Amino acid sequence: MMGKVTLRNLAAHKIRLVLTAVAVILGVAFVAGTLIFTDSMNKQFDELFSRIGTNVAVDVRAKQVVGADDDGSAAQPVPAAVLKALRGVDGVKDPKGNVSGYAAVVGKDGKIVGTAQNGPPQIGVNWTTGGSYDLSAGRAPQGPGEVLVDAKTAEKGKLAVGDTTRVITAGQPARMRIVGLVDTGNLMGATLTAFDTATAQKLMLKPGYFTDIEMGSTGVSQAELRDRVAKVLPQNMEAVTGEKLREESKSDIATMMSFFRTFLLAFALISIFVGSFIIFNTFSMLVAQRTRELALLRAIGAARGQVTRAVIGEAVAVGVVGSTLGLAAGAGLASMLQTQMGDAGQGGLTFTATPVIWSYAVGIVVTVVSAYFPARRAAKIPPVAAMRDDVALPQRSLRIRVALGSLLTLAGAGLIGAGLAGNGGNPAVPVGAGAFAVFIGIAMLAPVISVPVMKVLGAPFARLMGSPGRLARQNALRNPRRTAATAAALMIGLALITTVNVLGATMRASIDEQVDAQFGADYLVQADGAGGIGAGVSEKVKATPGVSAASPTYEGEARIEGKNASFMSGDVPAIAKAAKLKITSGGTAIGGAGIMVDEDTAKHNGWKVGSAVPVQFTDGRSERLTVTGVYTKSDLIGNRIISQAAYQRHTVNPSMDAIVVDASAPGAATKTALESALKDYPNVKVSDQASLKEDARKQVDGFVTFLTILLVMSVIIAAVGVINTLALSVIERTREIGLLRAIGISRRQLRRMVRLESIMIALFGAVLGMGIGVAFGAALQNALADKGLGVLAVPYGTLLVYLVVAAVIGVLAALWPAWRAGRMDVLKAISTE
Amino acid sequence: MTNTAPSTAGAQSAPGAGDFAARTQQIAKVYGRGDAQVVALDGVTVGIPRGRFTAIMGPSGSGKSTLMHCMAGLDSVDSGQVFIGGTELTRLKDKQLTRLRRDKIGFIFQAFNLVPTLTALENITLPMDIAGRRAEKEWLDEVIDTVGLRPRLKHRPTELSGGQQQRVACARALASRPEIIFADEPTGNLDSRSGAEVLGFLRDSVRRMGQTIVMVTHDPSAAAYADQVLFLSDGQIVDTMTGPTAERVLERMKGFDAGGHNTRPAGAPESGVSAR
Repeated sequence: MMGKVTLRNLAAHKIRLVLTAVAVILGVAFVAGTLIFTDSMNKQFDELFSRIGTNVAVDVRAKQVVGADDDGSAAQPVPAAVLKALRGVDGVKDPKGNVSGYAAVVGKDGKIVGTAQNGPPQIGVNWTTGGSYDLSAGRAPQGPGEVLVDAKTAEKGKLAVGDTTRVITAGQPARMRIVGLVDTGNLMGATLTAFDTATAQKLMLKPGYFTDIEMGSTGVSQAELRDRVAKVLPQNMEAVTGEKLREESKSDIATMMSFFRTFLLAFALISIFVGSFIIFNTFSMLVAQRTRELALLRAIGAARGQVTRAVIGEAVAVGVVGSTLGLAAGAGLASMLQTQMGDAGQGGLTFTATPVIWSYAVGIVVTVVSAYFPARRAAKIPPVAAMRDDVALPQRSLRIRVALGSLLTLAGAGLIGAGLAGNGGNPAVPVGAGAFAVFIGIAMLAPVISVPVMKVLGAPFARLMGSPGRLARQNALRNPRRTAATAAALMIGLALITTVNVLGATMRASIDEQVDAQFGADYLVQADGAGGIGAGVSEKVKATPGVSAASPTYEGEARIEGKNASFMSGDVPAIAKAAKLKITSGGTAIGGAGIMVDEDTAKHNGWKVGSAVPVQFTDGRSERLTVTGVYTKSDLIGNRIISQAAYQRHTVNPSMDAIVVDASAPGAATKTALESALKDYPNVKVSDQASLKEDARKQVDGFVTFLTILLVMSVIIAAVGVINTLALSVIERTREIGLLRAIGISRRQLRRMVRLESIMIALFGAVLGMGIGVAFGAALQNALADKGLGVLAVPYGTLLVYLVVAAVIGVLAALWPAWRAGRMDVLKAISTE
Repeated sequence: MTNTAPSTAGAQSAPGAGDFAARTQQIAKVYGRGDAQVVALDGVTVGIPRGRFTAIMGPSGSGKSTLMHCMAGLDSVDSGQVFIGGTELTRLKDKQLTRLRRDKIGFIFQAFNLVPTLTALENITLPMDIAGRRAEKEWLDEVIDTVGLRPRLKHRPTELSGGQQQRVACARALASRPEIIFADEPTGNLDSRSGAEVLGFLRDSVRRMGQTIVMVTHDPSAAAYADQVLFLSDGQIVDTMTGPTAERVLERMKGFDAGGHNTRPAGAPESGVSAR
């Protein structure tokens, strides 16, 4: 059977296929790594949650009126009276009021243990006997001066039972004695502190209130007990079964993890997409080089299908090998990611069937699909080609390619435009699909584009490097399709990296502009991390010498016109001044039941000064607020401001978002004075204009770096593609290289020739990619112009660096092929068929 | 070389007027268009008698290779008909044509005859492998012994000399017992001794095994091994010769070189070959 031919070809072209397999391995490793990593995280979370609330039969809590808020700040507390009422319900066993919120301990080094932006939370709870956790040392806390911490936190903060440390909460900062340690198992980086109930209420909630009330059952089923309990509850409270509660917390995590997984898989998909170009190119070249052999097979009776299958068989083998190694590499990648996660990633790897199935499916399908077109072309080789000396595969006219490529590019651009302009729906799908179409379209056009571009790119080489330069340029131009496919792989990665960098620069520029145009205060005091600003901060700030005014601002959620809407609240004239608000109608006198909106919101809802707006707050009650002013769009404030009095009427524990500070003599001295006044609040930060910009810049840079790292994989795969193309070209040109050597070209010149060709291909890909990337970035900026991206900025310096990097990739990719070309034996090379 | 087995079907029967292994009817083939137009075949009608060794000769560009490609079903004709045995090739679709080539035709090319990744033996049995058939052991042994390749069966083509490679190609062509073998300049790349070996072997396979072979060549001494020679010039059969010798063929070829195309010497077409 033809299987023998397939196997022998695999054996004969090991190196070429290994290079192809590398493209598969890297792509599959990305997929497998993501899946294994997220599986492992999921398992850890499952274990974490399986310990919590196992003996809860029913839980009572406030009904969520306004959409779920993850940090719980919008959730309403449960008054203690409810607990009393529950004691009378038949079937209820040991009802317990829970209090939970933000509470962090300060370690021996003076820093909060485990703090990290968007990292695992610092959780504070009230300690009750028979809860989810046991004490591993000491005793339960009693009174306002005692606290428990989890064992891991104590270890990290170098704290021991008996030590006194500061505890940071939404209340006054307090010095407390650690009276015991809690055995929590792996909290994945979160920290836990526990107080007695009264202290917990005072620090994190409000005396006389609970976050929720949990209870056991005397033997009644959970559903039955839930229904009984519901009968005694006030209207804005609800009862849920323990089972549902655990499901909810699990599904929250599952949603988060699945988002994370999708996000990483999107990047894995990009790598695989790039890899498919490499596979396509390699198989095209292998088929071209074996034209005569395949024609011979056809002449002596192999059917077209047999030839196609023989090539596809090779693809399957490459896919299987690539997937297997990719899966192994993926496990390594997942393990590396876990190490990066620190405390959150100590659970070891979890292996399920999913990554295995997907790795093989992706690896094999992608390889076979990519090799399908070359395989089809192989079958079209006419048998008579076996008898001719110089055979070229029938090439389809470039005209069709140009037409198709242009069409795809335009369609892709259209999709992107529609996706960005579209209201509602997930724009990621049309934009992503559009980007793919543009990439394929440009890749199809690339052979045509390559001719003039290569001429220009190659001109300096030809002039400076003499004949190696001229030969390199001609070699790069000789097979524009091959050059283009190789460059296109590089183009994709660089296009996306450029897009990310353009967006990053745009964000920085836009934020700078916003801060300049909209930040009118001297300082802003903000909470660094979760937990909000503790009680007493505002007073301390006001008392600081040099401060002329300090006004706190709040952020809240409400339901307006049937939609969840966030709003700002506080001292409105101060806010207006701090944000340099331009009032277009009405004024800042908001009164006790007023609302201010920006122009867009007013226009969209048909509101003007004097309009009545029904607003439902988080406590479930509604109130009609009156529009007292309309302002021009402000990125710092958002769409609406609600009177502080109205906000506080409906909020049991208002959480302060920031304090706007004006100074009589702004300068370093006042800032230092503020910082020292707030040294008891390590989670609070003082910013001025410059540091606001700096913080934003750091955040954007972090984001750009993270995305760039995720995209680097696709660039590496593309670099493998350049190596592959050059190596195959060198083999293909054996006779010609022999001839060049015979007529006196030196090894060095030969190596230079290969290297220059490589650099030209890499630069071509980079130039194409950056062009597309800048276009993508500009399109995104344009679409998001009214969402805070007002200023388009192109980071020319960074792009220049990437261009140099592309050239370096070219040099590196040429190392091995150039060495191979230089090593070739002249006589053998000439006599090669 | 020994051949003890009795020859098989169709062998030794004297070729009657209608007993052709392959024939063409007024076939024409034109390459290119406009000024670049080349008439490769200009209404050729020819029959290849069964069980004979026929050589096709002619100057470069006379259309001899094209004629062979068309007869072997490797290339299509613009008009006319081609028959292999009783099958009309010109009506067949690619799939049927492929099957016909596989089952009824053997090929020996000038160069690149073998799949480089397969051993000599694997190359010999390749057509049968492709067809999913097993080779007949006895016949295969006989063919291998005839070409004298027994000690070389496990070698790859690159480890064989040019003559050995060409003998592997001959063995491959013979192994599946095709109705007809087409050989395209089989000795073109060989030195004279290896060439003589291959040609002698081809002649033997005709005489002893009753194989039908058509060979395109431009070498008069190669043509001398054939039973008869067809002369082609400017896309037309211009002459035939039975029992050729190198001298006679060379003499006849000189007629073309002198520039007198289509100068047919006196004498009617010889029996066994219809060439009009």
